[in-house]
Amino acid sequence: MRYSVFTQVGIYVREVSSGARSILESCLTAFPYLFRWGDLRKEVTEGYPDPVSSKMADDLPPRSRGLLFNDIDRCTGCKECEVVCPSQCIRVEDEPGAEAAKIWVSVFDIDFARCTFCGLCVDGCQPGSLVHTRQYEGAAYSVSDLVASFGRGQVTPEQRAKWAALRQVSDGEEALL
Amino acid sequence: MNSIPDEPFRTDLTTWEIGPYHGSLPAPMRLRLSLDGEIIARCQVETGFLHRGLEKACELHSWKAAVSYADHLDPESAVFGELVLCLAVEEIGEISVPARAQFIRIILSELTRISAHLAFIVRMAKAVGSETVVHYVLRDRERILDLFELLTGARFSINFLRFGGVRADVTDGFIERVLEVCEMIRIRMKEYNDIFTFNHGFLKRSAFVGILPLNLVRTCGITGPNARASGVSLDLRKDSPYLGYEGLEFQVPLGLGEEGAVGDSHDRFLLRLREVSQSMEILKQITERVPSGDFINQKIDKEYVVPPGEAYSRIESSRGLLGCHVVSDGKLRPSRVQFRTPTTSHLMAVPPLLTGVRIEDLPVVLASLDLGIAEADR
Amino acid sequence: MNSQYLWTISWCDALGISTQLSGWVYSLMALICTFFFVVAPCGAVMSYLDRKLSADLQARVGPNRAGPGGIFQPFADILKLLQKDSQERWDWRENFWLSMHTMALYSTLAVLPLGSAALLVDTEMTAFLPFWSALVLALGTMLLGLSQDSVPGWFGGIRVAAQSLAGSFSALIALLCVGVRSGGFRWSVLANSQGFAPWSWAMFSNPFQLVAFFVFVMSGLVLLAIPPLDGGLSMSDIHGGVSSHLFGRRLSLFRFGRFYGFFNWSVITVVLFLGAWRLPKEITEALVKVEAKGLLSFIELIWLLIKTFFLMLLIVWVARVTTRCRVDQITDFTWKVLSPFSLFALLGASLWAGWKAY
Repeated sequence: MRYSVFTQVGIYVREVSSGARSILESCLTAFPYLFRWGDLRKEVTEGYPDPVSSKMADDLPPRSRGLLFNDIDRCTGCKECEVVCPSQCIRVEDEPGAEAAKIWVSVFDIDFARCTFCGLCVDGCQPGSLVHTRQYEGAAYSVSDLVASFGRGQVTPEQRAKWAALRQVSDGEEALL
Repeated sequence: MNSIPDEPFRTDLTTWEIGPYHGSLPAPMRLRLSLDGEIIARCQVETGFLHRGLEKACELHSWKAAVSYADHLDPESAVFGELVLCLAVEEIGEISVPARAQFIRIILSELTRISAHLAFIVRMAKAVGSETVVHYVLRDRERILDLFELLTGARFSINFLRFGGVRADVTDGFIERVLEVCEMIRIRMKEYNDIFTFNHGFLKRSAFVGILPLNLVRTCGITGPNARASGVSLDLRKDSPYLGYEGLEFQVPLGLGEEGAVGDSHDRFLLRLREVSQSMEILKQITERVPSGDFINQKIDKEYVVPPGEAYSRIESSRGLLGCHVVSDGKLRPSRVQFRTPTTSHLMAVPPLLTGVRIEDLPVVLASLDLGIAEADR
Repeated sequence: MNSQYLWTISWCDALGISTQLSGWVYSLMALICTFFFVVAPCGAVMSYLDRKLSADLQARVGPNRAGPGGIFQPFADILKLLQKDSQERWDWRENFWLSMHTMALYSTLAVLPLGSAALLVDTEMTAFLPFWSALVLALGTMLLGLSQDSVPGWFGGIRVAAQSLAGSFSALIALLCVGVRSGGFRWSVLANSQGFAPWSWAMFSNPFQLVAFFVFVMSGLVLLAIPPLDGGLSMSDIHGGVSSHLFGRRLSLFRFGRFYGFFNWSVITVVLFLGAWRLPKEITEALVKVEAKGLLSFIELIWLLIKTFFLMLLIVWVARVTTRCRVDQITDFTWKVLSPFSLFALLGASLWAGWKAY
């Protein structure tokens, strides 16, 4: 469609003025931020290693899924977490302890380099020994530093033999009772 | 004999490979462009740089772990992957889901939709080089991620849905916080409109750019906001309601081409803004009527085994129709899990859309399609 | 001896250096002084202000680590950039064109108007000379880009050149508008036709000068590819065009050259339209009476720089808030909007001047 000269000039002027107006409007929308007018226009950056302004572990919501921690005294070594873990980052090794009911958890390693913090292991933990802490500063200089070990340590053969003997004694007592 | 005459001033097509990592690409992918001057004459798309073998991984792990893998289908909108898997498994096992759990799922879905659309605005603003809007929108999206953290304990990869319900009940004050955030975003939307949506420069960059015609929508099987912006009224929340969307009142916005043509980049942008307000509408309705009761079907305990069978479920994710086909053989692991992701179809439309476009518009067109490469590569 | 670099002589006196040197030594010293004591500190201050302003607009904090309020951030940046250098690549073409365009660019320091006394060159045509800097910057950038053997470099170079061609036309016509008003293109004539108070600035003298001011500023942005009209250096598609292959010291050289172009243009705009370095008459007369020429030129310089920074920050504000334009839209805008408006302003300004003379 061909417009008359006047219409074309009109369209031209309107376009130029609308462009100028919209740029002015955009500038004015951002203007209150310069002076932080109102609660909605506060700056949101928080200095990170800054004890005053940055968030502390206590500020996290109650369900926050931080680094994992295993209370080895309560852990039964059932390997439920190892089985359910989708990224296979938990490694558990255990063997019978001094008492029949007590399992000696010799290795309980969590590789945070692989962990996705999905929380399935914590959900499945029967004794409730494996929990999410509120700790989130997990950076390390090497990948091997990212493995957290909670195990009680390997058992020497002598100890193993001693415990086996102890268990037999207690089994015998139980049988007597 | 050489039959081609020597041209005094011959212009060839320039070839340019972009990617896998480049500022104009939303995620790792490779574009092979043939450029005629600054205009793209041909375009080839190569994807697969983000392939993680999610579907296979689901087969290798327990049913529970499959949820946490589905969660990673699209990191930006984690709930949808989990939801579609849970719906399929619930169909196989004929698991009834308590009403309260369904409501929590809807709240999560809509919050995710809002956050995904805000992320879309961020990418769009980045593509046209408007830094200020990028910061404003990211700041507001953070409030939604805070909500996720409050409810589920994680900002991303929330891993919150379970077969037959959700992992935990809503915390105290969560519903109020949701309403607060909705109110805040409503105020912010006005600010976005003032500063960005109808900014002359942005209109110039996005209106009439990358028009997605109706026939391309049909041939490529494009769904979701991109299809709706081109005028196809397809929204599974309305067409085949799941979770309980049938009881909620909301509209399905369609592209109108107010500032340009129907189905151009600006239309897709506007449509997402409208969807954000519709999602807030849904949230407002649903927070008023959260029923009491269990948050999970108590019959689904640790020893639950999914019976043999197969099911296909589909939901409306933030990018379009997300489907999931699950096959169970009654063992401890899924026999087959397969996802139908919307981005796969969107990627098919990229070469025809980019042909004839200036290279400066390439980031805008790609951003306006809202490609989720993670879910296309899985 | 040319009296125009008397200010260097008085400084030499103060420092105890012999005043019996030949003229070119003084000229050289003047250039070096201007660069190291005016342009370089302004670059540092402006980069800090730019960051802080952008941060404030974007609800961020901005630099806050280096020194109180992050004021030493520019120095930290410089130190970091100087440490980085490419070890493996030495492209003679790139180095050649980079150094060529840098040297040619800084030759315009000689015509930078920084005060009534600090004028090295003040001839009938000086107001046209800074256009060198713009054209040299554009040409140098284009050749630099073309020598880079990469698609972003080619496109960036060609785009910058196209933009500059489009922008120089309207900029020159807008310059004519002020020339018509003040009756000459000497810096001193252009400055003395204005006063201290805003209503005596050329910009507000009549509506056509206002139009000419806006056209001049915007065509300068186009000419030098400064955000928001920097399609030639677009970040999202061609990774910053020419600068995509530069890093370390070369990048800092290139970026500082771009800053100098922006600074140069803003100084000229202030001199042409925003009252130049003119102080209230009483202050000038009092200082001339006590023969404190050094102090006078210092105060003039500060006043000029304050206005320059204000103008630059306004442009940064617009750039941060609006979107980046496409290069074809920029040239379109320049030819279809700026050029007609500049012609309109010239016509109006001429008629106005004629009416006044009559």
